[in-house]
Amino acid sequence: MSAHTTSMRDALYEAPGPRTKLLTLIGTIVSLVLVCIGLALVIQQFRITGQLDAKYWAFYTNMNTWRFLFDGFLGTIKVAAMAAVLSLALGVVLMLGRTSGIKVLEIVCRVIIDFFRGVPSLLLIYFFYLAMPQYGVRLPPFWMITLPVALAASGVLAEVFRAGVNAVPKGQTEAALSIGLTPGKTMFKIVLPQALRIVVPSLISQLVVVVKDTTVAYVVSYPDLMQNARVLLTTHDAVVSVYLVVAIIYILVNFAINQLSIYMARRSGNPIISRTTENPT
Amino acid sequence: MAEQSRVIELRHVDKHYDKLHVLQDINLTVHKGEVVVLIGPSGSGKSTLCRTINRLETIDSGEILIEGEPLPQEGKALAQMRAEIGMVFQSFNLFAHKTILQNVTLGPIEVLKTPKDVAEREAMELLERVGVAEQAHKVPAQLSGGQQQRVAIARSLAMHPKAMLFDEPTSALDPEMINEVLEVMVELAQEGMTMVVVTHEMNFARRVSNRVVFMADGQIVEEGAPDEFFDRPKSQRAKDFLDSIRGH
Repeated sequence: MSAHTTSMRDALYEAPGPRTKLLTLIGTIVSLVLVCIGLALVIQQFRITGQLDAKYWAFYTNMNTWRFLFDGFLGTIKVAAMAAVLSLALGVVLMLGRTSGIKVLEIVCRVIIDFFRGVPSLLLIYFFYLAMPQYGVRLPPFWMITLPVALAASGVLAEVFRAGVNAVPKGQTEAALSIGLTPGKTMFKIVLPQALRIVVPSLISQLVVVVKDTTVAYVVSYPDLMQNARVLLTTHDAVVSVYLVVAIIYILVNFAINQLSIYMARRSGNPIISRTTENPT
Repeated sequence: MAEQSRVIELRHVDKHYDKLHVLQDINLTVHKGEVVVLIGPSGSGKSTLCRTINRLETIDSGEILIEGEPLPQEGKALAQMRAEIGMVFQSFNLFAHKTILQNVTLGPIEVLKTPKDVAEREAMELLERVGVAEQAHKVPAQLSGGQQQRVAIARSLAMHPKAMLFDEPTSALDPEMINEVLEVMVELAQEGMTMVVVTHEMNFARRVSNRVVFMADGQIVEEGAPDEFFDRPKSQRAKDFLDSIRGH
């Protein structure tokens, strides 16, 4: 019984021999050269079209630009965080309903899950923004972007959680029941905590989708990062420089989510080590 | 024996998996302090029988009584009954995300509402007793199979069970770890624990059990005192089975 897991790399490829090593080295050099050429071409193109001119970048020296972007960034974070929390909670609820064993509830939850999974979030946003006000329901812009994004994600998350719950060995449930835990406690104390850790990678991808979905906030005129970027680029007529900077901010945000999730998964309890002992035969 | 000393009683129990008749008119009584060993070829229904006793498997017809009371079908009553009957599984099934100590204290804290410090003190005593106290703060995957199974026994004991079910407790173990688990079980038997043990360990059955129940094809074919069963099996099927495992 070993305490370390085999990494994906080890699982997919055997240890390289001399010929493979040589090929890998050649591949590395060739691709490095190609990447450099590509970058050079991009920069060259920018220079020819004048995108690197000072006028497109000078406004970044003004603190107000950054303050404005930061306001947008905060808007994005608020929407994304609220949408994430709502969708996680709703995802768990939908998953529990779908696996409850109560036929009607299972069907209802399944329909809800499939609906939100199948409908593009932009369409949901239009529903909140255009359709609902016609019936007298006009939510603040924050909710007109947050709710659709959360609903769209909750369908996917419900399925992610279900996959996680199914991946927890049956013996864990049996052991929990056998010491007298009720089915509910078995789910919340034993199965869900393990399921959550199994699905951390899918959870991260879904949270990244949530952040990206918030970028259509401009539809409802909510001042998120993307909306403020649009204002900025019309003011300064600087498409490339603004979108470049904004793209980097989004990448950083999603990188942070990635790191945070891994950190929280580690912190949420004991380390999960390979489960070679779970189903021996 | 007196009515109240019957801890587990099965009356005319039947169960099907689709068309397969896995339990056929099973009648079995386990008295207080008795150690009953279920043996038989694989697929004979012995594990299924063991698992019906705390309703991890349901039955189609018949009755299961625990201390004279019908086995509850669901809800709090069922959970309560399960808390009173310990179960040890072939694949240990320790809670993978909890430490060894937490594995043992979870039941007492959540079900018996034992205060945490008391539960931990008791758990440490139990872990001491099964010889894995120094592993208390590790997680299950860091322990050997034999150690994990001893923890699983401690986890059951922490609930102060009236009886314990062992479903092939040593079948998943490396040979050198079998004895350390059997020793704990022998000790339990000697202390008077009521036990139902599904096992292939014939020496254990002979040395410790009060009664051997031989099953084949979903039926109890014969039962009797261990010496009698192993030395003078009555049925041809039992003879064939004993021959095959002795390698004659």
